[in-house]
Amino acid sequence: MGSVREYFSSIANGLGSAAKGMGVTLRHFTSEPHITVQYPRETKPIPPTYRGMHILEQDKCIDCGLCAKACPVDCIEIEAEHHGRVLEWTKFSIDYKKCIFCEFCIPPCPVDCIHMTTEFELATESPDHMVEDMLTWTGMRPQDQAKLEGKTKPKAPAAKPAGGGGGDDLRSRVAAMMAKKKAEKED
Amino acid sequence: MDILITFFAETLGMSGVWPLSFAYATCIGSLLGFVTVYAMFAIWMERKVAAHIQQRLGPMEVGGWHGWAQSPADALKLLFKEDIIPDGANKWLFWIAPAVVFCGVFAGFIAIPFAAGVQIVDINLGVFFIIAIASIEVVGVIMAGWASNSKYSLFGAVREAAQVVSYELPSATALLAPILVVGSFKLSDFNTYQAEHGWVIFANPFMWIALLIFFIASLAGCKRAPFDLPEAESELVSGFHTEYSGMRFSFFGLEEYVSMFVVSAITATLFLGGYTLPFNLLDVGNLPAPFHLIGVAVLVVKIFAVIFVQMWLRWTLPRMRVDQVMSLGYKYLLPWGLFAVAGTAIWQVWMEG
Repeated sequence: MGSVREYFSSIANGLGSAAKGMGVTLRHFTSEPHITVQYPRETKPIPPTYRGMHILEQDKCIDCGLCAKACPVDCIEIEAEHHGRVLEWTKFSIDYKKCIFCEFCIPPCPVDCIHMTTEFELATESPDHMVEDMLTWTGMRPQDQAKLEGKTKPKAPAAKPAGGGGGDDLRSRVAAMMAKKKAEKED
Repeated sequence: MDILITFFAETLGMSGVWPLSFAYATCIGSLLGFVTVYAMFAIWMERKVAAHIQQRLGPMEVGGWHGWAQSPADALKLLFKEDIIPDGANKWLFWIAPAVVFCGVFAGFIAIPFAAGVQIVDINLGVFFIIAIASIEVVGVIMAGWASNSKYSLFGAVREAAQVVSYELPSATALLAPILVVGSFKLSDFNTYQAEHGWVIFANPFMWIALLIFFIASLAGCKRAPFDLPEAESELVSGFHTEYSGMRFSFFGLEEYVSMFVVSAITATLFLGGYTLPFNLLDVGNLPAPFHLIGVAVLVVKIFAVIFVQMWLRWTLPRMRVDQVMSLGYKYLLPWGLFAVAGTAIWQVWMEG
């Protein structure tokens, strides 16, 4: 008799578990909201501590090169000419082909001028565009030039190195983000 | 069919074998077009059902509105893909197998009554014609599996053979129950009977068992999960069509969805009233000429309801083991199918006598 009971209980068990499972899937089919994010059109909120692209507050930077020294993959290159306390910038670039977004470049900065943004859309059409120029201006600012007038002959501001097609777009995005961050700080 | 023959014979003035040939060509051409469009819709629907059951969205980009053009885009892609025939394959069998598989299932459309008079041939043994012609598909699958010269393909084909041959028995047995009620094998008789007496499913309590058994057995016949052992991605790569690519591969996919349509059409016609409305609210079978095509819409709605249940079940249950499939077929479905037939027979005699 045991095996007969087993036979009938297995039928009840099979049908019951299938019905229960179908109930679960029907509930998911009808009522539960979908969890897909339609990415280019929708985005999930990014946490503020997210480690994305860098931004540089160039007027604060003192060209100490500690961020470049801290970098484990040597992706930061800095070049500037020193005229006393005035800097004449030629280069501050981050190679995003190498960058591992470890954030080791942020803490060493003595003037807190380099930050990471939440910008993560780094896709470009060519690997050349992955080397990002962090400078908002090259050479000297006009007021610095005026300060130095008389001491040394001011050089004509060097042309900004060609950053490639995708560079300008990213540049402007990061600048916008920087402005936003500054506005948030003021609040 | 008769309308088409008279149209070709009288309106266009054809004689001899030409009216019949052109009538068949028209039917088959329009059915092929219907099947292609239906399969594309069903694949899109399957992906949508699967996605929503898993709280995803499914295809959303191609074509704008909810990714409706995803299936045509995939079909176009498959058309342009290279048709690879493996080195060790038996080229002729490898080449012919998808055609055999597709033809076996497609032939089932001949007997399906879509509406009153909208049927290519009203065969006397329509029910068993569909079951018999659909099992030609197994031959094609074995051809595909053996000709591929791959162990996975052969395993898949052998599993398919064992499974489909086992599940022919319960499905045919379960179909005997509505046949006993209606007293005919002719598919059009099921519609006229159900227009008069109500749906067969409500004829007696044994009919529910018969429907359940036929539904489970037809899932196995279509190689749908939880009976997708011949494909079994996680075990056999993709079973008998592992070595296929391009358009030949897509024929196997097309075959799966067409066989789903055919078995759902049998379920709808034999158990769920065919093209008649519930309680015969509108006598669809006897409406004047253009309006009897409402029956097509009614039948298609019922068919898609059954197909939805098949998809729903596919995304609920995991795949069964080979021995479980066999024991389910022989130890559970077959005896209970015989029980349903015997019960129906006794019920019929008891109610009538």
